Amino acid sequence: MAGRAEPPDGGWGWMVVLSAFFQSALVFGVLRSFGVFFVEFVSAFEEQAARVSWIASIGIAVQQFGSPIGSVLSTNFGPRPVVMTGGILAALGMLLASFATSLTHLYLSIGLLSGSGWALTFTPTLACLSRYFSRRRSLAMGLALTGVGLSSFAFAPLFQWLLDHFAWRGALLLVSALSCHLVACGALLRPLSLTEDTAVGGPRAQLTSLLHHGPFLRYTVALTLINTGYFIPYVHLVAHLQDLGWDPLPAAFLLSVAAISDLIGRVASGWLGDAVPGPVARLLMLWTTLTGVSLALFPVAQAPTALVVLAVAYGFTSGALTPVAFSVLPELVGTARIYCGLGLVQMIESIGGLLGAPLSGYLRDVTGNYTASFVVAGAFLLVGSGVLITLPHFFSCFSAPTSRPQELVIEVLDTKVSLHKEEGLEEE
Amino acid sequence: MLEKNITLESPSLVSLTCEFTPSGNVTLVNVTWTRGTELMLRSPHAVFADNTVHAQYQFSIINSKQMGSYSCLLEGKQEQRGTFNFKVPELSGKNKPFITYVGDTAVLVCKCPKCLPVRWAWYRSNGSEQVPIDALMNDTYVISGTHSNKTKLKIKNLREEDGGAYWCRAEFQLGQSTDQLDLVVLSFLVPLKPFFAIIAEVIVLMSIILLCEVYTKKKKKHPDDGKEFEQIEQLKSDDSNGVENNAPRQRKK
Repeated sequence: MAGRAEPPDGGWGWMVVLSAFFQSALVFGVLRSFGVFFVEFVSAFEEQAARVSWIASIGIAVQQFGSPIGSVLSTNFGPRPVVMTGGILAALGMLLASFATSLTHLYLSIGLLSGSGWALTFTPTLACLSRYFSRRRSLAMGLALTGVGLSSFAFAPLFQWLLDHFAWRGALLLVSALSCHLVACGALLRPLSLTEDTAVGGPRAQLTSLLHHGPFLRYTVALTLINTGYFIPYVHLVAHLQDLGWDPLPAAFLLSVAAISDLIGRVASGWLGDAVPGPVARLLMLWTTLTGVSLALFPVAQAPTALVVLAVAYGFTSGALTPVAFSVLPELVGTARIYCGLGLVQMIESIGGLLGAPLSGYLRDVTGNYTASFVVAGAFLLVGSGVLITLPHFFSCFSAPTSRPQELVIEVLDTKVSLHKEEGLEEE
Repeated sequence: MLEKNITLESPSLVSLTCEFTPSGNVTLVNVTWTRGTELMLRSPHAVFADNTVHAQYQFSIINSKQMGSYSCLLEGKQEQRGTFNFKVPELSGKNKPFITYVGDTAVLVCKCPKCLPVRWAWYRSNGSEQVPIDALMNDTYVISGTHSNKTKLKIKNLREEDGGAYWCRAEFQLGQSTDQLDLVVLSFLVPLKPFFAIIAEVIVLMSIILLCEVYTKKKKKHPDDGKEFEQIEQLKSDDSNGVENNAPRQRKK
C-alpha cells in the first residue's frame, strides 16, 4: 500500500515551505499593496474612492469564499494541478485588467478572476504544508507566513516604481507576469500520500464528517470571532492616529514598526509552538488574549510612547497568532481532512472579516471616535479565545496525537476486507 | 535681517509697517523705503520713550511694475533692514512625469488652490521654444477651464511625438506664473519586453523543477531494475517524499 505513516517533517517539506512563502507573498502581498494602484484608478476612471475599493474587497471575498472549492479539488486531484491552475487564473485576471476600459472590467478581472485564482492557490498550499510536518509544523507555518509581511514591505515601493515608469496598464501587465510565479510555486508541491488518506474517503464524506465534528465547529466559531476583531487596526489605526493629531509620516512609521514586530512575532511563535509541549491551542489562546488586551488598551493610550509600545505589542501578538491558528487545525481534524477543513474554516471565518471593518466604522460614526471600535474588537478577540478553552485536550500536558478519525477507519477497513475477498486479490 | 513673503494677485492698497529699536541714544532717525534699488521715500522719524521707531509706508499696487521687494531701512551706525517680497501666487511645480501609451487620451491638469487667474494659457515645447496651443485650430486638443482655478488640457489619440514638455501659464493682473508638465508617450512594446522576459524565466524555473523531479524518480527506480517480481518497498526516511498515488502499487513480501 503506498503511503507514509508519518509526515516527513523536513526534506522536501522545506521546499514546500519555500513555495508557501512565495505564494503568501504573491497573494497577500499583492492584495495588501493594491492601495498603491488605488490613487491611479481613481484619477484614471474618474470614480469615487468607495467604488474603487470594491476591487480589493471583491478579490478578498472571492479568495476566502472560494477556499472550499480549492480544498475539494485538491482532495481529488492533489494540490499541484489545482495550485498551478490557480496561478494561471490569477495571472490571467491581471493581464485582462491591463486592458480595462471601465471599473466594471476591473471588478470582473481582478476581483472575480484573480480572486478565484488566489482561492485555488493559498488554501491548498497551506494544507499541503501541514501534511508535510508534524513536529515542526508551527515553525514551518511561521516561516511560510513571513512571506506576507516581507512582501508588503517590498511590493508597495515596487508597485509605485512600476506605476512611475509604465503607468497603470503596464504595471498591471508586469504584476500579471509576476503572478505567473504562482504556477512555478505550484510545481514544487509534490503530492504526499499518508496512510490516513485512504481511510477518510472522498471530499463529500470529509465535508460531512467535518460538519459533525464538535471540536472543529467550536474552533471555527472561535476563529470567526477572532477574525472579526483582527483586521480592525489595519483598517482604522491610521485614522485613529490622525484623530489624535498625528502627522501622516509618523503614523506611517508606526505602522511599519507594527509590521516589523508582526514579522518577528510570526517566526518566534512558530518556533515556540513546536518547542512547547502540549496542544498548540493553548498558545493560540495566549496570543489571542494578549492581542485582545492590547487592542482594548489602544483608546486608553494617549502619549506617543504608550502608542508605540502598544503598536509593537499588537504587531507581535497578532503576527504570533497566525501560524498557530493554522497549526491547531491538523491536530483537530487530522492531516487527511486538512484540505477540506482549511477550506471550510477560511470560508466561514471570512464572514467575521467582512463584518468587522464596517461594524467598526459604524461604531465610529455613532460615537465620534474609535474608542468603541477598538474595545469591541478586543472583546471579539477575548470571546474567541474563551471559546478555545472548550477544545479537546486543552488542559492535558501531552501533545494531542494528530487525531485520526477512528470511527471512519474501522468502517472502511471492514469494507476493504470484503472487497479484497471478492476480487480475489492475494493477501498474505 | 528680516524678510516676509506676500502673495498678491489683484490690485490692492498696501500699508507696510516697520518697528525698529535704534542703537545708541538718539531722538531722531532717518527711515528709507526702497523698492529693489529704487528709492521710494525717505523721512525722519522721532524715537519714542520706549526706544522704538514706527515707520509706515502706504502705496497701491496696480500692475506688475509695482511688484517686487520693498525694504525699510534704518540709517545709523548699525543698519537695520526689513524686506517685504511681493509675488503672484506660484503653481505647484512638483509634478511627476505623466506616462501614457500611444492611442490613449491624456489629461494634463494645472491648478491653483488659493487663487483665481484672469486667464490660463497652454504651451508646448518645439525644440527650445514655447509654442502656444490653439485648441480651436487643432481638434486633438481640448482646453477646459480657462477662467477658473483649475485648467485641463486633453490630448486625444496620442502619438509618440506628442511627448515632451508642456507649460500652463496662469495670468494675473499683477503678473504670471508658469508650471511645467512632462508628458511621456510609450509604445506598447515597452512593457511587453520585461513581460515576456519574466514569463520566460517562469517557464525555465518550472522546467528545472519538473526535470529535477523526473531525475530523482529515475534514481529511485534504478535499484529496482532486475527485480521486477520481487519488489521490495523501501520507506526511505531521508530526503524523499512519499510515492505518488498513481505509481505502480508495490506489495509487501
